[in-house]
Amino acid sequence: MFKYIDCIDAGSPYCPCELASKGECIICSQLHGKEFCDCLNWKGTCIYQEFLWNGCKSKKIREFKKFKIEKREYFREDILKLDIKVNKELSRDLNNIGAFVFLKNEKDAEFFSTPISILNSDIETDIITVVIKREGIKSKALFECEDEILVKGPYFNGIQGQKYLNELKNNSCLILSRGIASAPAVLAAKKLKINKNEVYVFLDRGRSRQNFSKPYFLSLGCIVEDVSFLNTDGELKYEYKKQIEQLIKKWNFKTVLSAGSDDFHEKVINFIYGIDKYINFATVNNSTMCCGEGICGSCIIKGRNNVKIRACKQQYNPKEVFLRGI
Amino acid sequence: MKVVVIGGGWSGCAAALEAKKCGADVLLIERTDMLLGLGNVGGIMRNNGRYTAAQEMIELGGGDLFELADKCARHKNVEFPGHKHATLYDVIKMEPTVRRYLLEKNINILFEARVVDVELERNSIKGIYLYDGTFIEGDVFIETTGSTGPMGNCLRYGKGCSMCILRCPSYGPRISISKRAGVEDILGMRGDDSYGAMSGSCKLNKESLSDEIRESLERDGVYIIEIPKEDVNLEKLNMKVCQQYALKEFAENIVLLDTGHAKLMTSYYPLEKLRKIPGFENVRFEDPYSGGKANSIRYLSMAPRDNSMKVTGVDNLFVGGEKSGLFVGHTEAFPTTLRQ
Repeated sequence: MFKYIDCIDAGSPYCPCELASKGECIICSQLHGKEFCDCLNWKGTCIYQEFLWNGCKSKKIREFKKFKIEKREYFREDILKLDIKVNKELSRDLNNIGAFVFLKNEKDAEFFSTPISILNSDIETDIITVVIKREGIKSKALFECEDEILVKGPYFNGIQGQKYLNELKNNSCLILSRGIASAPAVLAAKKLKINKNEVYVFLDRGRSRQNFSKPYFLSLGCIVEDVSFLNTDGELKYEYKKQIEQLIKKWNFKTVLSAGSDDFHEKVINFIYGIDKYINFATVNNSTMCCGEGICGSCIIKGRNNVKIRACKQQYNPKEVFLRGI
Repeated sequence: MKVVVIGGGWSGCAAALEAKKCGADVLLIERTDMLLGLGNVGGIMRNNGRYTAAQEMIELGGGDLFELADKCARHKNVEFPGHKHATLYDVIKMEPTVRRYLLEKNINILFEARVVDVELERNSIKGIYLYDGTFIEGDVFIETTGSTGPMGNCLRYGKGCSMCILRCPSYGPRISISKRAGVEDILGMRGDDSYGAMSGSCKLNKESLSDEIRESLERDGVYIIEIPKEDVNLEKLNMKVCQQYALKEFAENIVLLDTGHAKLMTSYYPLEKLRKIPGFENVRFEDPYSGGKANSIRYLSMAPRDNSMKVTGVDNLFVGGEKSGLFVGHTEAFPTTLRQ
């Protein structure tokens, strides 16, 4: 199978990063303890060259900045939407597939910082929209933010398999979405529509009457269907399996975006691979993250052959991680 | 039988032609938008023993490329320090001529397609992957990816990227296919224990030279002028790839050859110093763009192979050109692939 390795920050203003300075660069062999070039994914710039010309140091790391909360809105008692007024540069950077930020209440310590996906970034008004579900300590702390919030970004690895979404033009894409994970799928749908793709969304309403993201998908011109994917055993319901199979035959999707939990990704990918093994997958990145810079190690997952993947920075082919038996 | 040739330099072109003559279905894959690789800035054929080599190759039936180079010659029977009866081909005409010839022979060529990985089945390569994940199957694979660069190597073992004809930033770096198939590369080492060797010549823009030099070059094919004593740098000879041009005469003199550009027979030359020489007041580099500072680093990737040019440990991978050993010129590159 094609070894798809990418670092989402490679070649960006954030590259080379601390990983490079410690000999752990994901892409460059020379910055990974080797003495000769064996570049794993050329992005148009030589990371080793950038590193040497930067005085053998990493580039400056992203830092928290304080921004104003323009609007707070509860979709449900445990689902909060925030509109945050950021600066021009950040709003532009965050208007990309897979964009996310770390958020934190100013009064809380550094380790409260939480990765949150961007649902929308309005580059005219510089307002970013995020949706937060109250789950644990860190998200509860964010619910306490009233007028201001600390934002650190931009980060870009909120969706895995971005290559398969970016290459779609005048094509079609199926989004299967469940729960809070539909937020990054909205921004992905926005980009897919700009590239003149038809976007078909199966949206799990969960415990609500409808998923909070439905109006966003509709306003983008996506075809949306309300579903309830799972049966009492936690498996994909037969009726939806049948419907997905028919849709795949009708629309000939090249890429399916799975926007749910990792368990959901696994179910979706294995089922669809059984129908057509050539369909590519993109998945919402659910890895636990504390630093977003590949350092803390909380995002590390195991790929094929038990290879470590720093999921906060590294792009992988979701098939390699979620497909059983390869 | 499907033969996939990876790398469209001189030896890749020679390999593709010979495989085609043997009746194979041939696919030649090239990373950039031009064939010939470093041959686009080469130009010297038939000097010294290479004359005999070229004639022998023609007699053996593998002379297509020599004959094309003869057709593109700007000068024949040129003499310069240490070298006799050289033919200088026009580097501007050569690539399109070879490209048309290969296409006429029904050789399929994929341009701007960088090979990044292989799929192995036991000890054989089943297929190769292009940068975008496209899988290409084949029966026999010939690697002629050379041993030059990429940027990180030119930086570590040379004086940085000089923006040479290989254009790594635009088309991505060379990948060692044999290494991807699990075979460690052999490296060239310099006398001072460091790796690689520096390409031995640059090209000056002919229009930027004085009328007198230009006329002399176009008439005789060669122009020689002494370097000011204080600027003679004998050290530079030690890092040169082409040791046949690492003679004292090349350190003490500016030797220019007319290959379409004015080929300057030294690895690099600081522009400020070059402009001190009479007739060079307005000079600028044609290749590498930063020839005032550096040149590409070579000899950093050779595969262990047997005398049939098959890579040790892989049943269906062959190598040619610089990838197969420390060969220094086009003439040497052609026969490495004829042998297969």
